[in-house]
Amino acid sequence: MAEEFEPKIVAFLCKWCSSAGSDLAGVSRMQYPSNVVPITVMCSGSVSPLYILNAFNKGADGVLVSGCHPGDCHYIKGNYYARRRIALVKELLEYSGLEPERFQMSWVSAAEGTKYTEIIKDFVKILKPLGPQEKLRRSQ
Amino acid sequence: MQKILTKKSFPKWVANLATYQIYAPVEKDDLWSYEIVTADEITTDYPNTVLSPKKITFPQREFFLEFSQNDDGIPGVTELLPEEKESVIFGVRPCDAKGVSHMDKVFGGDFEDAYYWKRRNQVTLVGLSCNTPPSPNCFCTSVDGSPHSTDGLDVLLTDIGDRFFVQTFTKKGDRIINASKGLFTAPKPKDKTDVEKVHKDAVKAMPRSLKDTKKIPPKLKDLFEANLWDEEAMSCIQCGICTYLCPTCHCFDINDEITSHSPLEGKRVRTWDNCQFPDFTMHSSGHNPRPDKASRLRQRIMHKFQYFVEKYKNFQCIGCGRCISKCPVGIDIIQVLEKVRDHV
Amino acid sequence: MVNLDDIKKEAHRILKEKKVKYIIGYTQGANGFPAVPVFIKNPEDADNLVWNPACIHNLTRFLRDEKKRRAREKHPDNRPVGIIVKGCDSRAINVLLQEKYIAREDVFVLGVSCEDTGVVDEKKLAKKLKGKKALCFDWDENRNLVVTTEDGKSTINADEVLAERCLECPAQSPVVYDILFGDKVKLSPEDRFKSVEKIENLSQKERWAFWKEQFDKCIRCYACRSVCPMCYCDECVVDTISFAVTADTTAEEKAQKIKWIDKSPVTSETYIYHMIRAIHLAGRCIDCGECERVCPLDIPIRFLNKKLEKEAKKLFDYEVGFDPDQLSLVSSFRDEDPEDFIR
Repeated sequence: MAEEFEPKIVAFLCKWCSSAGSDLAGVSRMQYPSNVVPITVMCSGSVSPLYILNAFNKGADGVLVSGCHPGDCHYIKGNYYARRRIALVKELLEYSGLEPERFQMSWVSAAEGTKYTEIIKDFVKILKPLGPQEKLRRSQ
Repeated sequence: MQKILTKKSFPKWVANLATYQIYAPVEKDDLWSYEIVTADEITTDYPNTVLSPKKITFPQREFFLEFSQNDDGIPGVTELLPEEKESVIFGVRPCDAKGVSHMDKVFGGDFEDAYYWKRRNQVTLVGLSCNTPPSPNCFCTSVDGSPHSTDGLDVLLTDIGDRFFVQTFTKKGDRIINASKGLFTAPKPKDKTDVEKVHKDAVKAMPRSLKDTKKIPPKLKDLFEANLWDEEAMSCIQCGICTYLCPTCHCFDINDEITSHSPLEGKRVRTWDNCQFPDFTMHSSGHNPRPDKASRLRQRIMHKFQYFVEKYKNFQCIGCGRCISKCPVGIDIIQVLEKVRDHV
Repeated sequence: MVNLDDIKKEAHRILKEKKVKYIIGYTQGANGFPAVPVFIKNPEDADNLVWNPACIHNLTRFLRDEKKRRAREKHPDNRPVGIIVKGCDSRAINVLLQEKYIAREDVFVLGVSCEDTGVVDEKKLAKKLKGKKALCFDWDENRNLVVTTEDGKSTINADEVLAERCLECPAQSPVVYDILFGDKVKLSPEDRFKSVEKIENLSQKERWAFWKEQFDKCIRCYACRSVCPMCYCDECVVDTISFAVTADTTAEEKAQKIKWIDKSPVTSETYIYHMIRAIHLAGRCIDCGECERVCPLDIPIRFLNKKLEKEAKKLFDYEVGFDPDQLSLVSSFRDEDPEDFIR
């Protein structure tokens, strides 16, 4: 029986909110799929589209960008910039033919460990039927 | 040998070459390029392709070797010589074939490039004589070429109405004719006069010319430091189109492309490089001996019309006119060379 | 109507009075190219200027070279550069002003209006002429292109040969200029983003198939990047080496330049190059169409940038190139920016 496909998710989590939220999930022993490679960034506004494309290039099946709720950004405005930039990246990726389900953005605060686990659980469920991401992955 | 092949028998000949991979110019969305085809897709009525047969004999990307780490972390390297099927390229313009022959000089000679030749030896070039100029910027006769030149070709076909006049020049050429002996007949005297007329008319119809080309190589040497290059390169935008489309440009870059970091896995890859790119001669110190557009344009022209002449006694430019037709800002190599030739 | 003699007279005047260093304009090319860029330094040469429907090049691209030239000279000549611009090109000047890449005093803008026509797509024209060479062509008063070939004259309706972006143009006459030739026009096209909708309406699989076929043609000549007036970065994502180096740059700094994509023209690397270029041009691209015109393999690059121009307008009410004092698209935000895609 063939091994079931386990999608690899790269998650860019802002240090002050989302990364702390994922830590809370861990500390509280919440069960959620281990398909995530978390990368802590200082702010969701610092996530360059290059990082997202590079994650796909290195073989990520799904990419998540997560930051503080509007109004809560540690750097005041970073997440507002992210809201705009990620919207553009999402539109472009969808327009050029990448499955739109592969790229997500969320607001996760430091207290929302449960929300984080929900997001990951749902993301893995959506990615499994899509199969491995071959379009942008560097190969041969 | 010289033979006649009727146009009706042409598809049968191609069909008999089933063991070979057949390339010919095909059109998609108004763009002509060499692709793998079946016999009925071959046409003899086409302008020149955007990319020359260089993309088959010297593809833009080829592998040298692959490296990997086994479970104990010990690295291993395997050479990856190209394993290409034998192929025949139909419809090669004589200028492009001369271009292949120039590249053979560069990759052959004292040191043979094993990767180039492993691929090159599998290719048979069947030329199509230019009855009408395929481009409004053709000038092959000015650089020691001609619309029916045989340099670099294994076979040359000349279209004389309802049939082709077939000439072979190499063993490879003979082989693909002999594989279908029955389809070819001996030429009659009228065939030969028809061919001569077609060839003569083609030379007369050459749209552009560059006179007194012999004066150019020594003049170029003298003009290395001249202001001429700054002026000619004013509108150059460093796009690199002239170099990538040129049938004789052959500079390349070698990079290691990693597909996995741990365990380490990757391939060493050769790709085309472009002397018009600003980082082509950039040193790791930050110094760039060709820091501006003028020096890079000068380099390209001198390579074609002076350095190659010095080394191989031939103009490297084959007069296809692609760089003139596709330059976004209208820089015309013939115009530049005329200025060089007439410079006081 | 645009009077070429007026343009020549003004060009002659500003060169004679030494108001500008040189003028970037259009002239007749070699071998019958109706228009190519030219750099005019002497007042007498102002007579070589042309203005015709083949003046498609975006000359603001050469402002980059001027800036580099000044940076190299020990005692730079700080007079402005004269430049002939169409409506679309003038928006590029506004973007360069917005980004403080050039100062307003660095350019003397000779704006020329396209009035109710525009520039001709040479590929469309060649198809219409079925291989015949166009010796000369110009617009008549009825929006027809009058073409002279070796067989004589013929007329073609403007909408059949205009560059596709001219049909979607929001600025038919220059929005910034020091002197304007021709009538000021502001026609609003009924659908500025029709070309983008064609692709949006395909299914996801069809969209991928379309773009994959296009990107597989790409030979990574970077002509699209080289011709773009906004691609002026010294350190570009696709270059293997940074040009922003000095004698003081350390070896570690040089070694740390990240190699984002491989040089090989394979689908994944080419795709990422085009995506990242489109994103870096979001809110900056003014749709001069040069990237698509110069592509030797006829890849429809303009559609990528146009999509983001549409989203900038639709999602963020952002217009590119009309206001040199506005903030850049990605360094600003509004409270009402949509967030329905965020969980």
